[in-house]
Amino acid sequence: MKKRNLAKKTLAASMAALMAAGALTACSSGSSTASTTAAAAAETAAAETEAAADSGAEADTSAEAVTIKFRYWADNTDYSALMQDIIAKFNEENGKGITVVGEEQPWDGGAYSENLFTAKMGGGDIDCATWKLTATPLFVNNDLLADLTPYIDAWENKDDIDDNIYNIMKEAGGSDAIYVMPWNVQILYVYYRPSIFEAAGVEVPTTYDEFLTAIEKCTMDTDGDGKIDVYGFGMRGSTGGQEPWGSFIHGRGGSFEDMTTAESVAGMQDFIDIYTNGYVPPTAVSDGFNEIIANFKSGLTAMTIHHTGSSAGMEETFGDDVSAFAFPAGDGQWTSMGDTETVIFESCENKEAAFEWVSYLASGEGQKMWCEGTGNVPVSKSLQETDFFQNNRFMVASIEGQSYAGILPILDTTTEWVATTWPNTVAQALTGQITAEQCMQTLQDGLYQ
Amino acid sequence: MKKRHDLAKRILFLYLPLFVLMVFILFPFYWTFVTSIKPEEELYGAVVTYWPRSVTFEAYSKLFTTTVNFLQAMKNSLIVAASTTVVSLTASTLAAYAFSRYHFAGRKVLMSIFLCNNMFPTVLLLIPLYTIMRRLGLLYQPASLVLSYTTFTIPFSVWLLIGFLNDLPMSLEEAAMVDGCNRGQAFVKIVLPILVPSMVATGVYIFMQSWNEYTFAMMFTNNDTRTIPVALKSLIGQLGVQWDLLTAGGIITIIPVCIMFFFAQKRLVEGLTAGAVKG
Repeated sequence: MKKRNLAKKTLAASMAALMAAGALTACSSGSSTASTTAAAAAETAAAETEAAADSGAEADTSAEAVTIKFRYWADNTDYSALMQDIIAKFNEENGKGITVVGEEQPWDGGAYSENLFTAKMGGGDIDCATWKLTATPLFVNNDLLADLTPYIDAWENKDDIDDNIYNIMKEAGGSDAIYVMPWNVQILYVYYRPSIFEAAGVEVPTTYDEFLTAIEKCTMDTDGDGKIDVYGFGMRGSTGGQEPWGSFIHGRGGSFEDMTTAESVAGMQDFIDIYTNGYVPPTAVSDGFNEIIANFKSGLTAMTIHHTGSSAGMEETFGDDVSAFAFPAGDGQWTSMGDTETVIFESCENKEAAFEWVSYLASGEGQKMWCEGTGNVPVSKSLQETDFFQNNRFMVASIEGQSYAGILPILDTTTEWVATTWPNTVAQALTGQITAEQCMQTLQDGLYQ
Repeated sequence: MKKRHDLAKRILFLYLPLFVLMVFILFPFYWTFVTSIKPEEELYGAVVTYWPRSVTFEAYSKLFTTTVNFLQAMKNSLIVAASTTVVSLTASTLAAYAFSRYHFAGRKVLMSIFLCNNMFPTVLLLIPLYTIMRRLGLLYQPASLVLSYTTFTIPFSVWLLIGFLNDLPMSLEEAAMVDGCNRGQAFVKIVLPILVPSMVATGVYIFMQSWNEYTFAMMFTNNDTRTIPVALKSLIGQLGVQWDLLTAGGIITIIPVCIMFFFAQKRLVEGLTAGAVKG
């Protein structure tokens, strides 16, 4: 009996020791990379930038060979090859002895950021990486990201990127520091069918009220059988629908900060009204991305909201009979911005060289090659002005929206709110089970619980 | 009359359910193959076709010529899976023999620890293992995967082999030892040949686990040492899936596994059932 007790105790002790050892290994590795405080990091960065500014052209000749390890994901094999081409071009032309080594990592259904976090906590030697804003708080809170503010302030092309984009980067980090370098964006705009607008006798709306009127007028019974053949708007009531929905809330002067204000509730009421008045397909409550695109492509809806990711398919279906306009202004104006950025990690020993690379992607040849190759909206204003982008009506609508584009507040609750709270609550409001006020109160509580 | 009745009965209760079951099992494989040979416009078209109007093997060629570099991934997977199988099987067989034949102090505790190891989710081991591999200089090398995979293949294999060894009468080894063998010779000459079916079954299990594993492979490899599951996963992007390449990769991936099963099938069944019967 005593022997058995001893065995049990031994087992328990060894289990505890094993677990503690595992935890300590993880903690020690994490702290080794994250031991530098944010203030010290900023100081180091500032000193490095200053040194770079002082040395000026000398850097070109005295610079030693530096290798930067860059982690990225590619959405398909063409994008992967394109990134390798950009890296090769940069390595060949930077003239500062910087060699970027690109390592591709799968997107992994969004687990890319978590995998990156695991690698960095484990002391991984990654210097910089492509990025999603939603991951910023986790990395900032663990002191894993380098503060790019001094580098950006000293950067000659700083003004080539819209201030609003920098503000969004700051918002994601939760302070005035910029931890994330802009790269390319996807800005939501409104697709419309010029032929349907003509038949309905409406012009491209320039205000939020005109937009609501256009939705109403474009809802038509075209063959006179008493049934609606064209709905004014393709509403997305399923997951992801919070993005176009946000434009309605802001159109009435509301905001995500306080969704219970009279303005926010009025925006929600507009959203409910266009559903209950039958200006959107009856399936709107459960319509997701595929449904709104399919409905628009089949001619069932006159307008819908999405970004340049679907523009090639739209043009293929309709040719010239599809166009786009930026979501118009009401008492307020907002549109959702999808994002892809780059970051430099605090553990990177050659931050200056890493910044050369990420700034090349943000406004140099890298920006041009990537955005022209993938059809994403560039953040570089000078590139936006070029014919390639100005001759594309969808790009123009996107670029027009960049000054008021934004993101949902990035909180611990955001993922759950987007996946569950928003679609369920809005579905209840659309089907009349709860009022606009109750809906907005639930959404507010869900996001800021 | 009776014969006809019997035939109808066999068709209704044997062949028909068997046919339905086979369709249910094989249709996903068929669909994977058909998808891999469809041209892009048919693949993403609105009309579903059960056999492609025009057959193309472009996806297969793309797998080996684009950045996916599938040939390298296959080579890496084979090295990792084969090495893990050899290492795990050797360690497990010796450990299982010791647990089965020697009744030493702490035997049960050690066996319990082996089991407990499997209770930890893989994700929990990721950061510590990543740190260990990095400090050992094994990161981005196939050896890091072989070592990591042994953390979950050895415990399970040990238990699998103990089941079989416990059923093996001690008298066989004792007879060999009476005839002049020492313990080691008795193990090699008597136990090991009898253990082969069980080792084949265990080996197949280890190989399959290593061949299909993704989480460790994603963390511990780079472009040069990437294995098949990671290469396939890279075809699933944020905005869409390259179904043609993904399915072509899937078809190529199952070929070595099918060949292995073809040869190991008989021994596998023997091995899997051997340890399960308790007298």
